[in-house]
Amino acid sequence: MYSLNSGVKTSQRIRSFLIVLGLVLVLALSLRASRFELHKLFTGASQSAELVREMFPPDFSNFLEVLRLTAETLSVGFWGTFLGTLLSIPLALLSASNTSNRFLYPIARYILSLLRAVPELLYALLFVIAIGLGPFAGVLALIFHTVGLLGKFLSESIESIDPRPVEAIRSAGASPLGAIRYAVLPQVLPLFVGYFLYMLDHNVRVAIALGIVGVGGLGVELFTAMRTFDYQRALTIIVVISILITLLDRISAKIRGDIIEGRAVNKPYLLVLSLLGLSSVYFIPLEISNLGHRMVTLWEFIVSMYPPDFSTLGIYVKLMVETVAIAISGTFLAVLMALPLGFGSARNIVHLSLLVNLFREVNNFLRAIPEIVLALIFVAAVGLGPFAGVLAIALHTAGFLGKFYAEVVENIDRKPLEAIEATGTSFLQKLRFAVLPQVIPLFNSYSLYILDRNVRAATTMGLVGAGGIGFELIMSIKLFDYQRTATILMVVISTIMLIDWLSFYLRRRTL
Amino acid sequence: MVKFVEVSKNFGRKPVLSGVSLEVREGEMIALIGPSGSGKTTLIRMVNGFVVPDSGEVWVMNRKVEYRSRSALKSIRKETAMVYQLFNLVDRLTTLQNVLSGALGRYNSLMETLLSCMGFFKREDVELAMDILRYVGLEEKAYERVDRLSGGQKQRVAIARALMQQPRVLLADEPIASLDPKTGKKIINLLRRINQEKGIAVICVLHHIDMVREYFERVVAIREGRVLFDGRATDLDEGLLEEIYQLEEEACTA
Repeated sequence: MYSLNSGVKTSQRIRSFLIVLGLVLVLALSLRASRFELHKLFTGASQSAELVREMFPPDFSNFLEVLRLTAETLSVGFWGTFLGTLLSIPLALLSASNTSNRFLYPIARYILSLLRAVPELLYALLFVIAIGLGPFAGVLALIFHTVGLLGKFLSESIESIDPRPVEAIRSAGASPLGAIRYAVLPQVLPLFVGYFLYMLDHNVRVAIALGIVGVGGLGVELFTAMRTFDYQRALTIIVVISILITLLDRISAKIRGDIIEGRAVNKPYLLVLSLLGLSSVYFIPLEISNLGHRMVTLWEFIVSMYPPDFSTLGIYVKLMVETVAIAISGTFLAVLMALPLGFGSARNIVHLSLLVNLFREVNNFLRAIPEIVLALIFVAAVGLGPFAGVLAIALHTAGFLGKFYAEVVENIDRKPLEAIEATGTSFLQKLRFAVLPQVIPLFNSYSLYILDRNVRAATTMGLVGAGGIGFELIMSIKLFDYQRTATILMVVISTIMLIDWLSFYLRRRTL
Repeated sequence: MVKFVEVSKNFGRKPVLSGVSLEVREGEMIALIGPSGSGKTTLIRMVNGFVVPDSGEVWVMNRKVEYRSRSALKSIRKETAMVYQLFNLVDRLTTLQNVLSGALGRYNSLMETLLSCMGFFKREDVELAMDILRYVGLEEKAYERVDRLSGGQKQRVAIARALMQQPRVLLADEPIASLDPKTGKKIINLLRRINQEKGIAVICVLHHIDMVREYFERVVAIREGRVLFDGRATDLDEGLLEEIYQLEEEACTA
């Protein structure tokens, strides 16, 4: 005789049943809206295999040119990160409740969330029209998004500092700025550096993707190669991209770890990073000479968007729903893939280090290829439409989630684990009663964060024909129909801000 | 009930236990005392196989503990329950769920394992869990998450989980070291009640000499991996305590 009466009240059980039901419903609708078809996964797999076969052998004939483009991409990434970080510091101070004042605090917060709401690719698209093709538009795009994202990270770390030293310095008669310099900055500096490196890593990935809208660098080259069916040349670029990203990922993770744990920073890694930074100074992409003229064209572009054309608003809202559906389906698939990847690469679950390393390499590889690049490949493999976007987002973010999950699992409290083991349980029961209850809230939180991020990514999938609202956006721009562009941007930004808020709220509740 | 025969254990090159022999009889309640690092915890963890002795034997209920066999270890673990200094509960589960996890060792078949993983427990186990919660006085907290309970309540949940195993031996590793004196006394009192009413043997690692004198009949003192004293708690005099807990420096020169 079995009973489910295992320690949860009936009212609570009904509530969680309703939540699960709601989630399943949303998921089912999303899978439908993103035209998720299981059989396409198999036909797509054979087509992808065919595509991969056509990529061999890679064509290294213009390797020097690829290297030059790599440097260009790196310098867009470095400049965007560097300038964006500088600009984000004052905004972060203004939007942290303990260093700001009553009036500026809400304004700064709002500016940050607005800046963050627009994906880098959309910024780049707009800057390319406004001020012309080239790396400068890319740097500007990175700066805007970096300020929004980093400003939020930094203000959160400023808010979590220990207030006692600040009070001590203030009571000794220091000015607010003095207190910031001598009590706030020393506390947050390690975190600042950590976030800077994280942003750098992130921005170089993005800089590759930006090439697709005409910012230059590796992305353009890849885009042209894919469009002209020159898959052998495309493979060369993909290989270079994954090596570059893996290298940066390793370097920044190592330095970040050193700084946060207060060790001496690994010298060779620091040297490589500085050399990369210096090389980007050489490739200064900022063409400041005709900055005045560019500002005029930017202003003209903004003016030409007014008044927004709402006549096709209904279509845009429908496409935005499709976009969110792509993100939800993609995140769902990513979670499914990340569960085995995450547990597999946790050293306290799998004791075979060969297997752990294998899983970790899979995570790294998946993260290394930007989703817009994956989308290009999947469009070639399974055809135009939202399903390609779902697959691209799923594969890319499975790598992220796999890594996050593994960290969560490795950091669980061992004490209850041993206590459950001491009652004579099996491996499965141990996993269910001592590991799962500890990791599920954090898994939820990370998955929601990724969902939030994926909504942003999904708005860009349309740029390469992988579904969602991005396609309408780029068409409106190509047709110089900027009043419609304005409407689309409004729909995109308001949805992203809504989802951002929703996921923040849900993450708070699940912890 | 539990018998240690000449057990030794080294951690690296450092000897922790050197040839300890000790027998705990059925239904007995004994206190293990001695300075920190003397090997008390190591000794009781040998009973359920979390520490494997380098040499010597451990017998539980007339069966020799086979450390290499997983299934043999599992059956020993089902008979021996353990309570810890920091309670070792699963924070996000409710009191009742934590207590029920003590029954998991009894669910052996694949079907039972799967059902338990989906949250189905045998009805008699749920009733038993409620009875035990009533016994430790936490009935009204059954549906509350354990991270909302106080330290003393948490330790009582941990004891309830241990009782859920229906063990023959209860191992307690400094169960009151992180509780205030009054709450600690209540916990030791509860262990005493369990020992007398249910006839479960209790081996308790403890630092509170006053409580040892009040609640225990037999005391075993361990120092530097050897049994220094094994006798009645009433025989613990100041001279003996001085010898057990003498300062580290003196021990080094000796």
